[in-house]
Amino acid sequence: MFLRLLYESFARQRRRKLLAGLAILLGTTAVTAMLALATTIGDRIHQELAVYGANIVVTPKADQLAVKIGGVDIKPATGGAYLKESDLAKLKTIFWANNITGISPELPIKVDLSIYGGATANDLLGIGLWFDHPLTGGTMTGAPQLHPWWKIEGSWPKGPGQLVVGRALATKYNIHVPMRAGLAIPGAQNGIDDVVIYGILDSGDDSENKVFMTLNTAQNLNGTPDAISRVDISAQTKPEDAFARQDPDTLTPAKREIWYCRPYANSIAYQIREAIPGADAQQVRKVEQSEGTVLERISGLMWLISAAALLAAGFAVSAAMATAVLERRGEIGLMRSLGASRTAIALLFYAENGLLAIVAGAIGYLAGSALAYTLGAHIFSGVSTTHALNPVLLPIVVALALIVAIAGSTPSIRAALKQDPSAILRGDA
Amino acid sequence: MAEVVTTSLNENQTRAECAVIALEHVSREYTGRGASVRALDDATFSIVAGEWVAITGPSGSGKSTLVNMLGCLDRPTAGTLKIDGADLAAMSPTELDRFRADKIGFIFQQFHLIPYLSALENVMLAQYFHSMTDEKEARASLERVGMGHRAQHLPSELSGGEQQRVCIARALINNPPILLADEPTGNLDQANQKIVANLLKDLHQTGHTIVMVTHDPEMAALAQRKIALSHGKVFCHPIGGPVVSLRR
Repeated sequence: MFLRLLYESFARQRRRKLLAGLAILLGTTAVTAMLALATTIGDRIHQELAVYGANIVVTPKADQLAVKIGGVDIKPATGGAYLKESDLAKLKTIFWANNITGISPELPIKVDLSIYGGATANDLLGIGLWFDHPLTGGTMTGAPQLHPWWKIEGSWPKGPGQLVVGRALATKYNIHVPMRAGLAIPGAQNGIDDVVIYGILDSGDDSENKVFMTLNTAQNLNGTPDAISRVDISAQTKPEDAFARQDPDTLTPAKREIWYCRPYANSIAYQIREAIPGADAQQVRKVEQSEGTVLERISGLMWLISAAALLAAGFAVSAAMATAVLERRGEIGLMRSLGASRTAIALLFYAENGLLAIVAGAIGYLAGSALAYTLGAHIFSGVSTTHALNPVLLPIVVALALIVAIAGSTPSIRAALKQDPSAILRGDA
Repeated sequence: MAEVVTTSLNENQTRAECAVIALEHVSREYTGRGASVRALDDATFSIVAGEWVAITGPSGSGKSTLVNMLGCLDRPTAGTLKIDGADLAAMSPTELDRFRADKIGFIFQQFHLIPYLSALENVMLAQYFHSMTDEKEARASLERVGMGHRAQHLPSELSGGEQQRVCIARALINNPPILLADEPTGNLDQANQKIVANLLKDLHQTGHTIVMVTHDPEMAALAQRKIALSHGKVFCHPIGGPVVSLRR
């Protein structure tokens, strides 16, 4: 009998049910699209903001100790303290290892560059870097990936005999690519007699006065194998909030664990400090805060749209239900006179709306997923990273649809059940 | 002193002992907009099991208020109303719903059949809200009122008299001790009035307690006793005939 009544309510009030269902469908479509985008927008914004460089910088801890005489920092640029390149493998062991999307270690050294058939440039700043170094999952990382604004004429170094020079140097010493040269440490015997300059770098900053080589080349020239003095890291992080700025060592164990297990730039930096001995990891606030601000604003907008869509759906359901219940007051009065409890009648109406919400919610989920896919492609350079269907969202969206349907229909159902059944049956209500 | 009822079962039983409905100084007052109206005023009477009582009175006399209370749809604001020995004032709303499903069968002037359910399903609806549906029993109930052959018809396919008979079958399906009929022939033509009147007579003969609100003197004359209402006051007429059987 219950199913019969349920079926008839849909068959007889098709238009009302359709309107209520449509409202739920539109609401859940918007929510699904917003949720689906929200789950991937962090990755995309991180990718977009990656052009501004790394968001975590790792340096040797000893380098942080200022050496000042009379207020002047006399510590050399390299600081004389090094990290181990081999320790970078430990980055794969930290809790948020999968959030690290780019690593660029460097070793700065002083070099003399002798151009064959030309001048010799002394005391240049040479930088040893990774170029196309394998990261995880088949992706490559290194300086070019972390400095996407760098433009190269020619190609990046691939081995010990290959160099890239900055545009300013190239102009000053009339360097073209490819060009042969000699490379040496000033005042030292060790050097490479025959190197080839394969590329000229345009960076728009002081890197245009530097000489770039593979990290291994710099380590060998410097006589410091395995040494690096700085690592730039790009990591996907959660926007910084007040909790992120807490010092984890002053938190209770439970709160510390929560802090530790959230992908704040601070907590990733903390984990890097734990993993690499003698390392000091700090977030680069400018990049991190830009990313956080953009994400916060977009998330806020998405929540607002979702809430507005659900609220509108709730009102539409409420209006449709008010009319539907009004039409069925006679039935309600009769059911009450037959001994049906208020709960039994409410259950019947809630079951109708629940069923409607499940169906409309499921369709809304499919429509919203399609919308998110299309929007994702339009917003982010024509390529959508949003999955066509995210099954995790289905129960969430259906649950939201149920909440909207139940909340929207409750006022009408309550009002109908409060009415005097005898008055309804007499037609006086 | 309690009235003595003539019954075929026990000559010495008092009216109070046999009462299936007992009102003691029952009043019902409605308040609203600063004023109060006493729709029923200090009503005291009883109806014994198996009795057929007609409630008469002009519009606004308190008939509907009395019927609502006898049908457990409303409760007195003063006095005691007992149905089948149970005091309605002591019951929670849920208990009252359950009690109504068990004890009262409603027969309406407007029939109040659900238009999209067949005659059989309309009868089964009362079973559904009482306990569980049983098509065989529902069909038997329809056959009892001579509507077995129309079980699958929708109310719109039935005449007024036939709809009222389905309504009576629905009232009977849970075997309630009291049938509460509100103008049962008020919407029927002469021929159908006669059919329904005969049906009520049969039900009375088989021991059902019938409380019937009516304006029709002919229908009222069928009852054993009349309870007249005027301005909320009750005037009980003498018992019109013997109670056939006690049905509790």
